[in-house]
Amino acid sequence: MIVAEQKPLEEIRRIIAPYERVLLLGCGTCMTVCGAGGEREVSFLNSALRVAQAKSSDGIHSFSEYTVKRQCDFEFLDSLADKVNEVDAILSLGCGIGVQVIAERFPDTPVLPGVNTSFMGMAKEWGVWDERCAACGDCRLAETAGICPITRCTKGILNGPCAGTKNGKCEANKDMDCAWILIYKRLERLQQLEKMRRYYPPRNFRVIPRPRRIVMKADVEPGEDNG
Amino acid sequence: MDNYQASRMRKASHGRGLIPPCQVACPLHMEIGEYVDLVAQGKVMEALQVIRDDNPFPSICAYVCTHPCEDACRRSQVDKSIAIRALKRFAVEFGGDRMIQLEAETTQSEKVAVVGSGPAGLACAYYLRKLGYPVTIFEAYSELGGMLRVGIPQYRLPREVVDTEVQRLIHMGVEIKANTRVISLDLLFDMGYKAVFITVGAHQSLRMGIEGEESPGVIDGATFLREVNLGLKPSLGEKVAVVGGGNVAMDAARAVVRLGASKVSILYRRSRAEMPAGPDEIEQALEEGVETMFLVAPTKMKRGNGRLSVTCVRMELGEPDAGGRRRPVPIEDSEFNMEFDTLITAIGQAPQISEDFRLRLGRGSTIQVDPVTLTTNRTGVFAGGDAVTGPATVTQALASGRQAAFRIDDYLRHRYPLVDKEAEETLSGELLPKTIEMIRKIERLEPPLLPPKARAKEFKSVELIYNWEAAVNEARRCLRCGMGAEILFQDKCATCLTCLRVCPYHVPYLDEGGTIQIPADQCQACGICVAECPAKAIVLRKPYDRRHIDEELEHALKSAAESKSKPLIIGFCCQYGLFGTGALASLWREGKAGIWIVPVLCVAKLEGGHILRAFEMGAEGVFIAGCGEQCSRENTAFWVLQRVERIRRALSQIGLEPERLQTFNLRATEGDTAEALDNFTERIGELCLASIIKQEVKS
Repeated sequence: MIVAEQKPLEEIRRIIAPYERVLLLGCGTCMTVCGAGGEREVSFLNSALRVAQAKSSDGIHSFSEYTVKRQCDFEFLDSLADKVNEVDAILSLGCGIGVQVIAERFPDTPVLPGVNTSFMGMAKEWGVWDERCAACGDCRLAETAGICPITRCTKGILNGPCAGTKNGKCEANKDMDCAWILIYKRLERLQQLEKMRRYYPPRNFRVIPRPRRIVMKADVEPGEDNG
Repeated sequence: MDNYQASRMRKASHGRGLIPPCQVACPLHMEIGEYVDLVAQGKVMEALQVIRDDNPFPSICAYVCTHPCEDACRRSQVDKSIAIRALKRFAVEFGGDRMIQLEAETTQSEKVAVVGSGPAGLACAYYLRKLGYPVTIFEAYSELGGMLRVGIPQYRLPREVVDTEVQRLIHMGVEIKANTRVISLDLLFDMGYKAVFITVGAHQSLRMGIEGEESPGVIDGATFLREVNLGLKPSLGEKVAVVGGGNVAMDAARAVVRLGASKVSILYRRSRAEMPAGPDEIEQALEEGVETMFLVAPTKMKRGNGRLSVTCVRMELGEPDAGGRRRPVPIEDSEFNMEFDTLITAIGQAPQISEDFRLRLGRGSTIQVDPVTLTTNRTGVFAGGDAVTGPATVTQALASGRQAAFRIDDYLRHRYPLVDKEAEETLSGELLPKTIEMIRKIERLEPPLLPPKARAKEFKSVELIYNWEAAVNEARRCLRCGMGAEILFQDKCATCLTCLRVCPYHVPYLDEGGTIQIPADQCQACGICVAECPAKAIVLRKPYDRRHIDEELEHALKSAAESKSKPLIIGFCCQYGLFGTGALASLWREGKAGIWIVPVLCVAKLEGGHILRAFEMGAEGVFIAGCGEQCSRENTAFWVLQRVERIRRALSQIGLEPERLQTFNLRATEGDTAEALDNFTERIGELCLASIIKQEVKS
């Protein structure tokens, strides 16, 4: 799941400042799950912005709120057309993808991000989220016992641990587990410690061509051999 | 109101709530959860209103109901059931039931005769008057009330209570014909009555059928209680035996104690576990010095030398009978003799229906009726109460009287019976051990009783009333079965698992299909998941619970705007427990300048939006007062503090001082809260002034 965090209220107030009528648009999928931009957050933000406006006595904005099931597909946005016509800007509480899909779908309306899209991760417990995947495009989890060193090691090294590990924790943050110690312990438990002895050549992340595209559909011409 | 009967059935305050087991068990199907919750909020008058909606004579039930609701109460799976009857008594006394005057208009022309003035007859007359029919009650004895008057002793049901209800009926326009035994139904029809309700009770004691039953000194329980209750003082001697194990036997034995006999023994052929009398009755009888002899049955009685010689046989328990109770079997050669001055038989009663009524009788000489319409074999003749069921409870009789009134209405209006449809779903299922484990155990508070020594001297009411604090605390124990949370908008649910993670009772779970389920039979209605669900997909089942805070808040904001007093402080205060009436009420009464109280039914239901709304509408400060660890639900304080922190962060980002939002724990003594609140008010005053100065400087 994509995890994000709502932008500070000051920043949101700054970016919406030029626009009078603002639609606060939530997303019913990842942003709801990570508590950054679901229906409740949209309504909370709406209330907070109103309070700010009331207390600073420079009330010029009018806010409306709505939450779609998912912002990252055009089809979910179709129902928004009428609402969008009535506003000067959309503050999207969707992830960075949502913001861009909205921008593409509504070319004439400014779209502003209300959250900082942070990482792909999981809920550790209620109210705590951890990063788990860097979307590097070349998964090595088979060799590292299901624990990703690229994401979870501060240095992202493929041959760890480094000398900075101490009592199983990382030198960069003593509350953070050393990913390579975790990998070692789990390999030991799985009796696959030989995987530690192999050398993995460093990867050049700069060669990843961006933006990436994945094509599942095959390039076929109907009508000739197969119907 | 076109039709009282139809309007009564239309009310549905439950919304999507499920009918809790207590309400299902109640013969009158009273909205028990509703009035218990109102008592917990200290709203006794509203509680009484709810009670009166379904019960014509709550003051009577408050004394004598056998409370099947308490037997069904799911709190007994956690610790002990809620003391529902005692709470009803509290609501009746403190809610001012005595002061209620009822009027009824005559809108129909068909006269109805009610034969018998027991609880069923009185209830039937009550509802027929509400429906607008002229009603006459015929009573063979000099006083009205049937078993309420001649069967139930005064220490359980004071006579004034019955008198009050009878007076109320007379005020409603019911015609009373006491000392009038109806000998022929044809005569009633000749007199112009269009329908007759026969509810003559079951006053005839059953005979034991043993030798010597006719001896002087042997008296049957019904006759004995009738004499005592009509003010006679039968002479009984010193040593008295009562045969039987039901409520009549208990009543007789306890009446004998009050008449001054030195030794009272109850002879019962089974053991205590099989006694049909209410456990409280048995307990109180024992406290008053009544002796019990179990597994003993008299076989022969003989009068000689002024005393009664009773031959008894010992019994043992054999196989269970059809009713599930173990059948007593005599032990061979176990006869023994005992001597008493008097023996009272109380082994059961049956109705005595005049043959001239020409009614078809069934088992135990009860009147045969259609269970739905209560019609007998004769057109226009309905029957109910003990005369139909055999000896039963007061509440069952009231229910039967109500049913009869509605069916008579249908009959006279030539209408197909408006039978209660089981439209609403009932709550079933046991609490799971993991849920029970998390529910706070709170001891059941019993209402005080007169000490046994004081009881034995007179016929005064034994049970006293709760004080305010005890009643409120007892009512707070209610688990609110069937009123919990549900995912109303499945399409909104993102399956984020927040509800599953925040529920203190481990109620929500993921089913095999990956959908979140909140089982209604486990939910404790604390409201935490409702306030936390990021998709706002969860709601409480009862509409009132959903709207309550919004409505109260808007009301306070409106009142505040009208009064224009400054600085404006909004206080969200828990309405449950004593706080609704203690510290909170004093705030209200003193009307502290600019403080407006929004009562909430547990602060855990308070959402961030509510608090921000208060600030938006001009509040300079907001405080939340909950009952902290004294709350009957788990983790409520934790979640309130989570939300408070969140809002304080938002406030500081807006440029408002976070201290403008404060929490108080009302569990602290009242003085402390008052002081803390004074400090808070003062501080808000300062902040308010400072911000005004800042504004001035700016401009």
